[in-house]
Amino acid sequence: MHGIKRARLTEEEREARRRRELSKIDEFTKLSDATLARKKERDWSRDAFDLTTLLLQINPEFYTIWNYRRLILLNGLFVNVPAELVKDILLDELGMTMSALKAHPKVYWIWNHRRWCLEQIPYGPGQESESHYAGWKQTAWDRELTVAEKMLDVDARNFHAWGYRRYVLDSMPNPRPESNELIYTARKIEANFSNFSAWHQRSKALASLWTQGKLDESKSREDEFELLRNAMYTDPNDQSVWIYHRWLVGTESSREILEREIVAIQELLDEQPDSKWCLESISYYKRLLLNKYTSEVDVNVLSEEIRSLLDRLETLDPARQRRYQDLRKRKRVGTDLQQKNW
Amino acid sequence: MTTVTKPNLATDKLLTDLHVKYIQNLGENKDDLMYHLTAHLRLNAIYWGLTALCVLGRPDALNREEMIEFVMSCWDEEAGGFGAHPDHDAHIHPTLSAIQILIMQNALDRMDVDRVVKFIVSLQQPSGVFAGDRWGETDTRFLYCAVNGLSLLGRLDEMNKDKAVEYIQRCRNYDGGFGSSVGAESHAAQVFVCVAALTILDRLDVVDVDTLGWWLSERQLPNGGLNGRPEKLEDVCYSFWVLSALSILNKVPWIDAEMLSSFILSAQDPEGGGIADRPGDMVDVFHTLFGVAGLSILGYPGLVDLDPVYCMPATFIGARGLRKGWQALSRRQA
Repeated sequence: MHGIKRARLTEEEREARRRRELSKIDEFTKLSDATLARKKERDWSRDAFDLTTLLLQINPEFYTIWNYRRLILLNGLFVNVPAELVKDILLDELGMTMSALKAHPKVYWIWNHRRWCLEQIPYGPGQESESHYAGWKQTAWDRELTVAEKMLDVDARNFHAWGYRRYVLDSMPNPRPESNELIYTARKIEANFSNFSAWHQRSKALASLWTQGKLDESKSREDEFELLRNAMYTDPNDQSVWIYHRWLVGTESSREILEREIVAIQELLDEQPDSKWCLESISYYKRLLLNKYTSEVDVNVLSEEIRSLLDRLETLDPARQRRYQDLRKRKRVGTDLQQKNW
Repeated sequence: MTTVTKPNLATDKLLTDLHVKYIQNLGENKDDLMYHLTAHLRLNAIYWGLTALCVLGRPDALNREEMIEFVMSCWDEEAGGFGAHPDHDAHIHPTLSAIQILIMQNALDRMDVDRVVKFIVSLQQPSGVFAGDRWGETDTRFLYCAVNGLSLLGRLDEMNKDKAVEYIQRCRNYDGGFGSSVGAESHAAQVFVCVAALTILDRLDVVDVDTLGWWLSERQLPNGGLNGRPEKLEDVCYSFWVLSALSILNKVPWIDAEMLSSFILSAQDPEGGGIADRPGDMVDVFHTLFGVAGLSILGYPGLVDLDPVYCMPATFIGARGLRKGWQALSRRQA
């Protein structure tokens, strides 16, 4: 029962609710029993299909009924009908699941059914030799991207919608250039810096573009640092920004970048002396510096600076004090950084 | 609807008797529409209820024979697995619940183990991940269900372990966490399933302990509750997802146990029993288990030890020789 307020009912109210629910329960159990009985009989008729529609409108979590619905489509409604009709039925299915999703945006089974429908859309119109042979598929998949994005307009952190969007982007017949992701995620981030889902997606898109050589890595890294600089100053307490910053710096950064970022965050810290995330990030990058450039830095000075940062964090963020103490107690304060590079 | 004001009932202590009664009454709610609308989760709910009762020290509070009969009535003969309810289709999640319930009731002999193993193994995909059922939805949650179930049945060698580990590795993000599929954002519940599966597979070397420990500890919010992702709201169920992973990494002290305990306790319903997602909300058996499970890991007095890897009472796991190196906080005296 996520997010439903507890109500204290009087005896009378409870009784009134019970009476109200009784007829609904009766309706639901009858429908449910009738549909499951048809499933047992392997009834693949349009009648049975309509029963599943009714039942799923009441309860979209009833996974067995979604399964039955697909069996009816495969063994009944799709049999001996032209491809165009199969396509039309599937488009109706997508319409039906769309209204279900609007009411229940986090029900796995609805998203699954949608995927299944998409994957079933036949080739057409026309013959294989014709240019628009993949037309139905393309139209349907293109529209799915819009659907996922509409769901993200309503709830920008819905991980079902993000996952579905990634799936559509990976599987659509006419793929979008990956660089589009930079535009989309920038838009989501600008709407709300706290949207870590968008930062996450951005990190994946950038890493992929860099690996494929489609984007100048060092220049684009600098652009990202610039974007982060704005975000940090907007809300220095926002985890999303700092976690992304940690990704951007990575574990392979040059000494110059590490030192430059430490200085930049220090400037913000000077303005916001109690910023936990400034302290946490500086202490992390200093540990990285110590660990990676041991022979080039003054180990004693840096270790002492790290210890003093951890002391301040311990006071400022008592809930996590044991973590700071543990880091401080290590023989050399930089040795927690065995982060693998991926 | 009017609200009847009652004197402010204390929720600073665990209301064990009320929770036991709440769970016992769950099967009596047939006048409640919600009871019928949650039939697709019935077997899971029985696992949640029974495990909560075991942790509360009242393993016999529900009728054993009735429970075993119900589990067996969920068997899907065609697929060779368990559905969540009689006449519902087999799926890996209720199948795991069936295995867990029968083990807790010492009744595994009732199950056709070979067929169940065959069903689970058949769901592994070439990538190493598992599907939930024949319809092919994949998720690291299902991978965990498979690894947990096969391990409990002593048949882990029948799946492709290397491929499963390889898939989990591909789901790992730079923040140390794991997502539901390759490319997905880290999420505390997915961190639990991936870390617990790696633990069972003896491959914790895949985990970057310090980075993940840091990410997990940052799930705690100023009100003591834990969230599942950065910049999201707290929820009692994350008490378990985050704590189980922390205890496997031996990092439970990296959060404030007292603050979290108070948060979980404040989400109790002091009248009807049960625990909600957050204070003042409707309770359910899912959050009741994960609240109680969290408190057990935090060493709350009087509770029974829970194995965070399998989310079952530790004695059952120890008896099967499956105890791994996790560490909960020491049990405090009342």
